[in-house]
Amino acid sequence: MMNNGSETIIERFRSITENTHEYAKSLQGKGKMLAGYMCTHVPEEILYAAGIIPVRVLSSHVSQAMTRSYIHETYCSFSHDCAYQGLQHNYDYLDLIVTSSSCIHMAEAFNVWVRFAGFQHKSYLMSFPHIIHSKPASGFMKESFEEFRQFIEKFSKKTITDDDIERAIKVYNHTRRLLQQLWEFLRRDNSPITGPEVATVTLASQLMDKEEYNQMLEQLIQRLENNPGKAPSGVRLMVTGGACDDLRIFDLVENLNYRASLIFIDSCTAARYFWFEVPEDRSDKLEAIAEGYISRIPCPSKDTVPGTGEKKRFRFIQQFIQDFKPDGIVFLCQRFCSPQSMDIVALKPILDKLGIPWTELELDTTVPVTLFGTQLEAFVETITGVAP
Amino acid sequence: MAYDITTWKDFKNYQSACYRNYVNDSEGLRCMGSTWSPLAPLKGLGDDILMIGGEPHAASTAGTFPEEAREDISASEVAGIGFHSCSYLKLFVGEVVRDRIGITDGTIKQGYPKPNLIWTTHLCNLHAKWYQEVSRRLGGIPMYAIDMIGGGNAEKDPKIVKYVCDQMEQGIQWLERITGRDFSDELFIKATRNEIKVLVLWGNICALNRHSPAPLDERRLIALFPPAMVDRTTDECVRLYEALLKEVRYMVETGQSVAPNQRYRIVYFGLAHTYGHPEMARILRDAGAEIVASVYTFGTAGNFKGIVNGSWTFDPIDPAWVDELDLSTRRKAITELAKIVLGWPTWQGVRSYWALESMAQAMIKEYKADGLLLAPSRSCETDFRNGYVGMQRIFKSKIPTIEYDSDQVDVRKMDLPGAQRKTELFVHLMEAHKKEVYDK
Repeated sequence: MMNNGSETIIERFRSITENTHEYAKSLQGKGKMLAGYMCTHVPEEILYAAGIIPVRVLSSHVSQAMTRSYIHETYCSFSHDCAYQGLQHNYDYLDLIVTSSSCIHMAEAFNVWVRFAGFQHKSYLMSFPHIIHSKPASGFMKESFEEFRQFIEKFSKKTITDDDIERAIKVYNHTRRLLQQLWEFLRRDNSPITGPEVATVTLASQLMDKEEYNQMLEQLIQRLENNPGKAPSGVRLMVTGGACDDLRIFDLVENLNYRASLIFIDSCTAARYFWFEVPEDRSDKLEAIAEGYISRIPCPSKDTVPGTGEKKRFRFIQQFIQDFKPDGIVFLCQRFCSPQSMDIVALKPILDKLGIPWTELELDTTVPVTLFGTQLEAFVETITGVAP
Repeated sequence: MAYDITTWKDFKNYQSACYRNYVNDSEGLRCMGSTWSPLAPLKGLGDDILMIGGEPHAASTAGTFPEEAREDISASEVAGIGFHSCSYLKLFVGEVVRDRIGITDGTIKQGYPKPNLIWTTHLCNLHAKWYQEVSRRLGGIPMYAIDMIGGGNAEKDPKIVKYVCDQMEQGIQWLERITGRDFSDELFIKATRNEIKVLVLWGNICALNRHSPAPLDERRLIALFPPAMVDRTTDECVRLYEALLKEVRYMVETGQSVAPNQRYRIVYFGLAHTYGHPEMARILRDAGAEIVASVYTFGTAGNFKGIVNGSWTFDPIDPAWVDELDLSTRRKAITELAKIVLGWPTWQGVRSYWALESMAQAMIKEYKADGLLLAPSRSCETDFRNGYVGMQRIFKSKIPTIEYDSDQVDVRKMDLPGAQRKTELFVHLMEAHKKEVYDK
């Protein structure tokens, strides 16, 4: 493939995902305040409006037993790993840790930081609806965001004006639009960027100052548009599931003994993070943010439409299937993540109806490369009808 | 001598009658959902409301038919429900999958009685997902879930109360739409007062366990709170708890108890795990130790004063307060109901570690506990697992504390020998602690 600088930019993004603390500390060196967040339901716009850079707390993928004496073993490895990071004091440089009341497992990781890792006086737990598709939820979110705004104003000793919020909304929406543009490449049969690379760039967005990020991503998209594209994709695989910041699993998908391409990831570390926009230029900024966050692809733990019990995420998934045309679906979930498993059981008959094969992989702290590799290869064989 | 509760049989009959009616009645409106929901709105739809609640039904099925329960859980897993999911949920869905239902009077009925609607809550990661799955499997039963946001002091937070009230108000409109029935505010208000009354009465009964000897043990508490879970909206249910309160007061006045040998008083945080609970109780009883307070039996269907002046208290609410409540309009009744339901101690710990700790501290102090027993339930997504390991770290230096793993109704997840050993160790710890205190 012709390298017109796109590889260098992707490498820079990858480097940031691999050296998150180094990057974050460099921002601090420039005088920025940093707030870690443990759930993507935290409205980053409010932090950004106060001049605080939101940094997503991610796992380290280190095998450890320390957290078993702090949180129950039946919590997902992602929450254990994030709790471990706090106990190891890897994030001590953060000025603040924030989460929203969402996934119970991640709430436990947050609790460990607050109770045992020294974050008691620099933490904020935001009330967030557990059912987001109701009219009352919007009003509740707005009030909750207002309380958050007041807390941040006090914390940062800075008044957050509506103009500050509007500016933040625009910066964040720009990121979202750019990311959607980037993901559009994966619809092509000869995308100039691979799925794992897109996953890397997307993960970097959760760690970086958005203005710097947007500049880099604009450059990348510009260069990719001039790229002829890579070889035609192999078997097109779409991933759907829970938080997964272990990029090795995505690399694995494209390094099997058969040619396979990762063409979409529905998870809160990938598409669910950015696949929405907050309405701009509204008079009520917090209401606008609430509206935007309600329109997201829902997290399975919050997904029930009052009156029907419908899971709205399934509509998105079907739309993505239509747009990105996968040959197969990989359910990729954290072990012990019950909301995901309850969705998988209901999704399977839908996929069967659509004639799309699926397989399931359960994530833990480390990736069992041989095991997953074999399973994925068997899956590709099933799709292509190739005898082993 | 151990005291025998005279109202015992009436409680059992009430529970069984509710389930029998749900299973056998061909005329009424069948309503399903978590009994951790405000139930009175359903009663606004008429006098023929038949209810089945997820958690108490699953618990009682496991207790009545252990083999059936295992088959149900297996059937659920074969049908694709995750191994780690809530075992109440799995047992419940398993009955749907197997198209049969077992109830506490020993009846097993072939052909699952399909509900007309699902009225439920969402708080933990799985609550609404449970009934989404049931709805899907039964061909799309209309379902309304109320987000019970929780948070540590929820019933005193106007933002949360309004949020829950607004959802309930919309839910009532939905009930009318889905059933084609007119909603009777008169019936609703009557049911609301009953619901609040029962919850307050149960809180008062539990609070009497502060006395020494505590009149009730955990086994009796577990057996006596199901009517409040199954259907707490009826006059009959109020009468049951009024009679029980009178009887337990009499026990206190006369110094009687169902388990009078109480050398050690224990505070328990955990569910009634159907498998293993009797074995643990036996070990404790042999050593003269009794569970006298538990967040599960107290807090799942009982109300207390909660946070007062920044600290948690299990002080009871005066039942006369319920009679004075102004429930003259639908919104007023909704508001009081929302506040009482949000005030359940069990809600608080789901989303708030500090509330869980604060409750444990209050219980230990107010019930003069000699030990804290923590039994996190392996597949429970609510506060019956959250925070327990951390709590052990915090409390072990203050009071003899033990944590053993359990599970609501899945025998495979119960480490019985391990739990027994830890319970024995717990007794030794309490003995040593008491000796140390006396020696000083």
